[in-house]
Amino acid sequence: MNFRHIWIVFSKEAKDIVRDKKTIITSIIVPMVIIPLLSILAGGSVRNMQKDIEQNVTIALTRESNTTEIRELITRDIIAAFPNINLIDVEDPIEAINNSEVRIVLDVEKDYKEKLEQGKPFVIEIIYDKSQTKSVGSVSIISKAINEFNKRIAAERLEKMGIDDKILKPVKIEETNVANDEKTGLSMLMMILPVLLVILISAGGIAPATDLVAGEKERNTFEPLLTTKAERSSILIGKYLTVTLFSFVSVIASILGMVLGYFIDPKSMTLGTGAQFSGFSISGTALLMILIISILMGMTFAGIQIALSTYAKSFREAQTYLSFLIVITMIPSYATIFMQPNEIPLYMYVVPVLNTISAFKTVLGVNINYTYLAIALTSSSIYVIISLKIAISLFNREKVLFRS
Amino acid sequence: MRGCAVKLIKVENLTKQFGAFTAVNNVSFEVEKGEIFGLLGENGAGKTTTLRMLATMLKPTSGTALMAGFDVISQPEKVRAKIGILIGGETGLYDRLTCEENIAYFGLLNDMTRDKINDRIKTMARAFGMEEYIKRRAGKLSKGMKQKVAFARAIIHDPDIMLFDEPTSGLDVSAIKDVHEFIKICKEEGKTIVFSSHTMSEVEKLCDRIAIINKGELIEKGKVEELKNKYNCESLEDVFIQLVGGKNEF
Repeated sequence: MNFRHIWIVFSKEAKDIVRDKKTIITSIIVPMVIIPLLSILAGGSVRNMQKDIEQNVTIALTRESNTTEIRELITRDIIAAFPNINLIDVEDPIEAINNSEVRIVLDVEKDYKEKLEQGKPFVIEIIYDKSQTKSVGSVSIISKAINEFNKRIAAERLEKMGIDDKILKPVKIEETNVANDEKTGLSMLMMILPVLLVILISAGGIAPATDLVAGEKERNTFEPLLTTKAERSSILIGKYLTVTLFSFVSVIASILGMVLGYFIDPKSMTLGTGAQFSGFSISGTALLMILIISILMGMTFAGIQIALSTYAKSFREAQTYLSFLIVITMIPSYATIFMQPNEIPLYMYVVPVLNTISAFKTVLGVNINYTYLAIALTSSSIYVIISLKIAISLFNREKVLFRS
Repeated sequence: MRGCAVKLIKVENLTKQFGAFTAVNNVSFEVEKGEIFGLLGENGAGKTTTLRMLATMLKPTSGTALMAGFDVISQPEKVRAKIGILIGGETGLYDRLTCEENIAYFGLLNDMTRDKINDRIKTMARAFGMEEYIKRRAGKLSKGMKQKVAFARAIIHDPDIMLFDEPTSGLDVSAIKDVHEFIKICKEEGKTIVFSSHTMSEVEKLCDRIAIINKGELIEKGKVEELKNKYNCESLEDVFIQLVGGKNEF
């Protein structure tokens, strides 16, 4: 191996890729624009939907229940304190749910008045459509209004009987959330960020890896290159370092995209669902360790990508192999998305991809376990060596190199 | 060493097997300094595999070759410093690099200094008429212009030996003429040339001596005229048909 040759190959490849508009657009510009745009749009739409569910609850009555008396019961006694609930008239109530004209239809027992006067329970059936998010979301709101009515009637009845309504509540539930806003925000971030970063790291090197070996073979520049004084391992490492560099440039572009999104709309980073998490702090050591672990994962993937690109007969074949690599990364990423740092078993810090996800979760999980981070770092280093060895071995194998 | 200076290429019982298939079988020949040696054979005869072994891209299964005195098996890096290669009709350049950068990249990988590379590029740009477009990106050039850049790239490090693997395949008449001119320039510069082709006329026109390869085996070698007399044929094509056709029947 010759460091001068490695540097010559690396600088030539880097120059070549910088001049490739297609790679620059897909690896740098698209993530910088698409990521904040997507999170802002997705976050905005989640919030708009929540707002809409809470503020515009439209209800109707079944034909049988649509009497003046029942309408009065609903408007005066049940939803009067809920300005967000509106009772509207529709011709066909069930059809109206299907058409999203109303979210809930209520069916009130005809003899409700007698039962109410006699102190007997009467039934209000809530008819909704489980396939419609807004309809489902409105059930709890209307239930709350009915419960308020229930409580009020029960209190009135007890009062008439001279009994304090506290008798109905032998236990009073009090909730205390030990997590502050920062921690709540982090737990959302802990789910989304590791998956996003791991997928970005695995995808970042695809374009350069495809171009640098399979592309070179297809352009007929590969054989002349192999007849220069440079050893194959020097050529390979030069190309490998270029792929590593560009996969990181791509990840940094994506992170910049997220930061940009955060500045435009802070809630965009958690798709509008989490609290703001301004001012949270991660220790310098943990940050450095996670940075190294990410770089190591990028290097491992660069090795695998170069190896697959070497094995591929054509540019197109390389693209197919490399796109499978993202799917392989996605499976463990999504499988562990809801896993909390304290639930992560030790073996996950050793398994490829999962070790990086676990390390991210650990760092974002406030109580950082440095031993586990060190295990993830060690296993990541071992995978870099293995993937590079595979790539070098394939690059030196005639059968693979001249496969046609 | 004096012997090596005369016989710049010595191929000794070169054999290459891919699994059970023998692509090149026990091939031996020698090429003198400044000579153009043609490897003549049909597609799949083993010409490219032979040249790839001489260029150290493939390792021989058995046998070896000495290129400018260096062994292709034990001294591949030294061999590569002494050879230049031009493969196929396709020029194979980096489209996003300028012509100058394309040529310089190969110079740097052959351990030339920047100054020497610049001097050599200047000389070659003048010789091949590339001065006008030497700073332009290769992707924007015509096929003929690209071909000249590929010539310059192949000899940037002034190799003693040039290997041409079917350099005119798929080219039009004027491009073929350019390749032939380039081969002549190489000869004038004293380079030793191994040239593979299946086109009889160009082999006859360019080569001092030839070897006919069929199914991986070297079945005849010598000067074109000698072979014509030996087999009592009027053209090289007839010699080839007599040798290869006859061999293929059995």
